Amino acid sequence: MRALLAMAALRRHGARTLLAVLGVAVAAAMLLCMVMLSAGLRESFRELLLSRGFQLRLSPRGTLPFDTEATITGASEIARVLRTLPDVTVVSAVLGGQLHLERGDASVTSFALGVNPAAQGDYELLSGRDALAPDAMVVNDEFLQATGAHVGDTLQVAAGYNPQLRSYSGERRLVVSGRARFLYLAAGQSAAALRIGTLQAMTGRARNDEASLFMVRLREGADVEAVRRWIQQHVPRVDAISTAEAMQRVDERLSYFRQLGFILGAVSLIVGFLLVTTLVTVSVNERVGEIAVMRAMGISRIHVVQQILLEGLAISLAGAVIGLGLGLVTARYLNSILSAFPGLPAAIDFFLFQPRSAWTALGLLVIVGIAAGLYPSWRAATLPIATALHEEAVA
Amino acid sequence: MHLLPALTLLFALQAQGRTIAIGADLAADAGIRVGDTVVVSARPGEGREAASAGGAAGGGREVDTVVVSAIVQRRADPSEIARNDYRVRLHLDQLQRLIGYGDRVDRFAVGTVDSAATERALRAIDDAAFGFQAYRSRDIAVETSTTFEVVSRFHRAIGVITIVASAVFLLCILLLKVEERRRDVGALRLIGLSRWTVFRSVVIEAAFVSVLGSGLGVLVGWMTSAAVNAYYQSFYRTPLRFSIVTGDIVIFSVLLSLALGVVAGALAALRLVRTAPLTLIGR
Repeated sequence: MRALLAMAALRRHGARTLLAVLGVAVAAAMLLCMVMLSAGLRESFRELLLSRGFQLRLSPRGTLPFDTEATITGASEIARVLRTLPDVTVVSAVLGGQLHLERGDASVTSFALGVNPAAQGDYELLSGRDALAPDAMVVNDEFLQATGAHVGDTLQVAAGYNPQLRSYSGERRLVVSGRARFLYLAAGQSAAALRIGTLQAMTGRARNDEASLFMVRLREGADVEAVRRWIQQHVPRVDAISTAEAMQRVDERLSYFRQLGFILGAVSLIVGFLLVTTLVTVSVNERVGEIAVMRAMGISRIHVVQQILLEGLAISLAGAVIGLGLGLVTARYLNSILSAFPGLPAAIDFFLFQPRSAWTALGLLVIVGIAAGLYPSWRAATLPIATALHEEAVA
Repeated sequence: MHLLPALTLLFALQAQGRTIAIGADLAADAGIRVGDTVVVSARPGEGREAASAGGAAGGGREVDTVVVSAIVQRRADPSEIARNDYRVRLHLDQLQRLIGYGDRVDRFAVGTVDSAATERALRAIDDAAFGFQAYRSRDIAVETSTTFEVVSRFHRAIGVITIVASAVFLLCILLLKVEERRRDVGALRLIGLSRWTVFRSVVIEAAFVSVLGSGLGVLVGWMTSAAVNAYYQSFYRTPLRFSIVTGDIVIFSVLLSLALGVVAGALAALRLVRTAPLTLIGR
């Protein structure tokens, strides 16, 4: 009965109700986007870091992985020490560099990773064979597109290039043995992976046995923080970064988006609240006589309160349902803008849909809908019946 | 006249050793003041070891005992906004020696008198250069500002969504406001006012409310902008201004609000004048 009366009151002013629902829908869409933004980047980054099961990353002291050109010397010795730890199951040394290829008059430059193919966590092999041989490399689609090469081709590549002298250094002939998807690269970045020993030799980093990064996988149930502390104490040339710490650093760098999400989400809620409150209050003011008659007939205060709360809730829920769909489309569009953010892996989503995000947005809107109906319902419940009826009769 | 004390200070500092300038954030975090003596090294820990050994470096490691001569504020450079690293400025030869860089530099900055001179300098340098290349500062700025172009596009998209939400909100509020006056309008129509007069009065009222609201909005926006700047300047330790309320933005906001208000008022007024006066007063 209450729901029926509430719906009748909303239908009476169809255009007004439609506009309010539309307003709440836009606010709900914005709210969902902002909830997705505030949690999405973090969750997406965490999923990416843990996608290959490596819980620790070791970078040169004072740097983040691949943030500078700094390297760690004595890589084999460090790897040997790490493997002695009972909790460590896999240690993967990675060296970053560049590969240059001459293509006609132009030189194509690609990012290069020196890895141990048997224990790497940087790429997924899509087709062909892994770069197990010293003269083999796996490349991504962008590399193949930029160079016009195919799997199975042998390419003359170099680790160094002087554009003024047009001369190459560290040249090798490498076979493209497979096609891979690199997990941590930005969109459109061409890349190749080869054995770390080969890249060290090509770049002149074999003498000091240099690596840019170590990725460490621990056994199930191991205390990551304890291992991190041990490494920090016993390997002074590196910074040991756990997944939690890496996420914290990313949080610090990109905290702007989280804060923006919080502020705009709060603004959306306030706008939705004001809209529903105004609409329901005006609706109650217009129906003072009607409510007074209902009360005079013996309908209880709580019944009137519930009916008006239901009106606010109905507008909020209808707006929320439309807004959630609208929000998903908007989030996809906004994500496509931010995916061009330089230096971030292409696999990271700023707006990540999780059922929890939708439930959070819906829950907040339900609370707002109920809160928006509180004031008008209080006004209706405390209406002086005789005065209201008298004024209505005079009017 | 004013140079004398400065020169005296400079000579006094040089007499004590080499001088460096440090960033204000490092000075604040490490409690360093102008005139303090510090030990600098290229590798972590070596400075501390040298300091405990009385400033002497050992094992071929390079350390330097220097006097902090200035504390400098970080430049308003957007490309450094998310970097929390400390900055120290040393004399070129001193840094080259500390890090074992020899007589090498990463780049040269060249000043020119005008854009034509820049072109000539670029060609001359590139023709004569051996192992390096010249770039315009403008081109480098374009290359390094991708982050801000992306953020700017994101802000524009958010702005469009906000405008859509505001338009719906404004339309709804004005519709309610006009409908509240059904009886007044009905009475006015019954005493002889024309539809056109009623229509104009409603639209003018809507325009007035919009301009008044946008004026208030500009004030709130200006205060919010000041708060945003204060917060992010302190958070990122930069003099960069994150939010600017310019004359163009104010004019755009007021005009947009006025246009939305007039359209919303006209739509609401049309509904009103199409209804019979007796219906408006509830008979």
